Amino acid sequence: MRAVEDVSFAIAAGETLALVGESGSGKSTVGRAVLRLEEPTAGRVRFEGTDLATLTPRALREARRRMQIVFQDPFASLNPRRTIGASVAEGLEIHGIVPREEIGDRVSHLLEEVGLDASFASRYPHEFSGGQRQRIGIARALAVAPTFIVCDEPVSALDVSVQAQVLNLLLDLRTQRGLAYLFIAHDLALVHQIADRVAVMYLGTIVEIGPARAVIGAPSHPYTRALVSAVPEPDPTKAKTRIVLEGDPPSPSALPIGCPFVTRCFHPAKDARCSTERPHLRPVGDQQVACHCAAPGDGAAST
Amino acid sequence: MTTQTKFGLGLLALLTLLAVVGPLVAADPNAQRDLLNGTLQPPSLAHLLGTDEFSRDVFSRLASGARISLGVAVVAVAVAAFLGMVIGLAAGASDGGLSGLLRRCIDIGLAVPRIVVLLVLLSAIGTVPMWLFALVLGATGWPAMARLIRGETLRLRHAQFVAAARALGAPEVRILWREILPGALPPVLVAATLGVADAMLLEAGLSFLGLGAPPPAASWGGMLLESRSVMAVAPWLVLAPGLALVAATSAATLLGDALRRRLQPDAK
Amino acid sequence: MTPLLEVTDLRITFRRDSGPPIVAVDGVSFTVSAGEVVALVGESGCGKTLTGLALPGLLPPGAELDATTHIRFNGTDLAGLSEDALRGYRGRRIAMIFQDPLTSLNPVMRVGTQIAEAIRAHQQVSRGEARQRAIALLGEVGIADPEERVDSYPHQLSGGMRQRVMIAIALAGEPELLVADEPTTALDVTVQAQILELLDRLRVSRRMAVLLITHDLGIVAGRADRVIVMYAGRIAETATTVALFATPAHPYTRGLFASIPRIEGSSGRLPSIPGTVPRPDQWPIGCRFHPRCPVVIANCREVQPPLEAVATSHLAACWWRRRRPGEHATGPGRRARQALPRRRIPQRQCARRARRRGCLLRHRSR
Repeated sequence: MRAVEDVSFAIAAGETLALVGESGSGKSTVGRAVLRLEEPTAGRVRFEGTDLATLTPRALREARRRMQIVFQDPFASLNPRRTIGASVAEGLEIHGIVPREEIGDRVSHLLEEVGLDASFASRYPHEFSGGQRQRIGIARALAVAPTFIVCDEPVSALDVSVQAQVLNLLLDLRTQRGLAYLFIAHDLALVHQIADRVAVMYLGTIVEIGPARAVIGAPSHPYTRALVSAVPEPDPTKAKTRIVLEGDPPSPSALPIGCPFVTRCFHPAKDARCSTERPHLRPVGDQQVACHCAAPGDGAAST
Repeated sequence: MTTQTKFGLGLLALLTLLAVVGPLVAADPNAQRDLLNGTLQPPSLAHLLGTDEFSRDVFSRLASGARISLGVAVVAVAVAAFLGMVIGLAAGASDGGLSGLLRRCIDIGLAVPRIVVLLVLLSAIGTVPMWLFALVLGATGWPAMARLIRGETLRLRHAQFVAAARALGAPEVRILWREILPGALPPVLVAATLGVADAMLLEAGLSFLGLGAPPPAASWGGMLLESRSVMAVAPWLVLAPGLALVAATSAATLLGDALRRRLQPDAK
Repeated sequence: MTPLLEVTDLRITFRRDSGPPIVAVDGVSFTVSAGEVVALVGESGCGKTLTGLALPGLLPPGAELDATTHIRFNGTDLAGLSEDALRGYRGRRIAMIFQDPLTSLNPVMRVGTQIAEAIRAHQQVSRGEARQRAIALLGEVGIADPEERVDSYPHQLSGGMRQRVMIAIALAGEPELLVADEPTTALDVTVQAQILELLDRLRVSRRMAVLLITHDLGIVAGRADRVIVMYAGRIAETATTVALFATPAHPYTRGLFASIPRIEGSSGRLPSIPGTVPRPDQWPIGCRFHPRCPVVIANCREVQPPLEAVATSHLAACWWRRRRPGEHATGPGRRARQALPRRRIPQRQCARRARRRGCLLRHRSR
């Protein structure tokens, strides 16, 4: 069974690409495969020009200094038996980034950089709220001074008010450190705040990719259009007409032969070709869309 | 702290006192005082717990037996925990052939009854010194520990914070040592404490069967064995080591439960 | 019209071994009428879940209702009822659904059996009849092929379908009030829309009242008739949804609004409320929100503001509204004040939105 198939994208230095999709779309698998935390069966990840698959374990560890990950669940991603300071210092120690006697100072500095008190270093994870833990996870990733961070749903487990705080932190760090992000999320409104480009995944393939302005503002693929319309409108006076998709995505083990979205598609031009021939990404408007029927301007008609 | 925990700690303190101070203040446990009139004396001021059929002071023997019984149990459990930890960690952390092989070993170790192995081993060796006895006891106790640690290791290996450490570039050995072992230790500690009670009963059982500490050394199981024939006329000879055994195993069990409540609040 | 549910002075305390008891919910009063959807909104730790649990008497061990609390349901005070009497209300008249449908369902039991059991707990019907009703309920909550799905186990269903099953179980007793605690938080956006749509449909078809507990003001719009905003165990503001969204009176409500990411707003940094909700044993003196508030005046640090009318059926607990002419915000407020700009949608975007809406009509009539 394949969880993810034929997914290609590039991220420039300092750029944020958002990977959007629902649970089961394979977006997290892609994020982990990029860091080789999961081994892809085929495909290539090139980071700063080097193919990661060709690296020896030692060289891979070195490469990981430059690329980091922030996880979704702030309760599972910190070792409950180690202090905050020990967790943040981990990367510094592994790579010998600063002399042993300066580690404490550097940890304090990192904690302050993510908006926490330096005195938290001696405490344990259970003493902190979800938002604070997520900041700790970010400090741990920053310790090795990466240029690229995979953010795997970094705020979706948090309250809306805390989401904004953590998102702002990620935005500030991007400005200050020139970071590139692969921002994995299911909430398009959130993605709109941070992404330069957006890739929408459905059942393990990218169905639409392009500049954030184009993908969110004028979505072309029927699935993207449904996603955009499902974003809650926080204004009761503007009753928004939603495209409510029928049913659930089919199981990845029983994929349709043609377009993976064909079972839920509502596009009026849907025809026999959609269930027999798999669509590939092709330019539609400013973005690339994997749909036989999509035409520029479709999106404007849906929202 | 619950009442049970306090009770367990109190028992432990008493037994430790008995084992450490007892032999210093009591008379020679092997001195035969008066083989004509001094045998099987009931408890009195001169002999707090009476005397046995060789007119030896039962309190002295109980105190020196505490050293042997408790010592053997603790050493045996330490050996079992160490072997179990190494094998369990290796089985849980390795992949492919080695992992399968170790798992098979653990399963076989668990399937063969420990008492049978011990009976065969000890009768083959013949008279065993106490340290060897403890080692043999420990060497047959590791499979249960190993299974526990393997399970914990497997669970923790897929924890997100382990993935985070891997993403930071931590080598596997460091991950095992710094991330996994600290998480796997608490259940081991609990199992080890409970295991002390087990080991003590095994030691007593084997000594009772004549396979334990060789006479005249006084282990609690050995004392039970010697007093069996005169139980009807001198019940204190059975009661003293018997109650001591009950006290020691209760202490271990109570403290093990207390540790479990403390270290694994989520486990039922 | 007398309301279906009338909660007065709800106060929930936790007894501790040492130290004074902790007050987690502190004098909350509200009403819910038949067929009405009321949203209870606030961050984690505000006491909104405890409030929901208190209604059918499901408080966790150690938590107690104060003697002054009244929970009148159709005229009966539930606060004074015995455990046995309360059981007659649970499920049958007041039902609950939770955030995580996976842990709420029995993993080794077919979903049909679980629904049928709920039906038979409330009504004297045969097994066959209960099964037929279970299938009907599955159809009512929008599960395709209910005749087949009735024999599925929970793990064979998606998250959205499990939440539908939970709703079907809740409907089994034909409740008059459904307490939905973060029913969509664990679900994907498209599925979230489906479930909210379903709840909306049920309240119309069954005239069932819904108390929707959520941390996300964004999903409340267009779903709830009224909104209650809670902060640190008290009501900060309550109003009709339209009034609350049009003229939020409490700085906390405004902060919650501002932090919602919007697909049509500008991108980049979001205004956020600084800090976090304090724990119940660390609530500050005066207004509990004042340390995080952008507009603090002297009174805020000393006296708890009462819940007062700011308009018809719109209440808020805030001193800033009653400041003397010429009185300015003092202390930590000033800086945070700049961090909470009023949301203004540029003219250009309004026009674009209107255009889109026009297009939409065309699309739908096709």
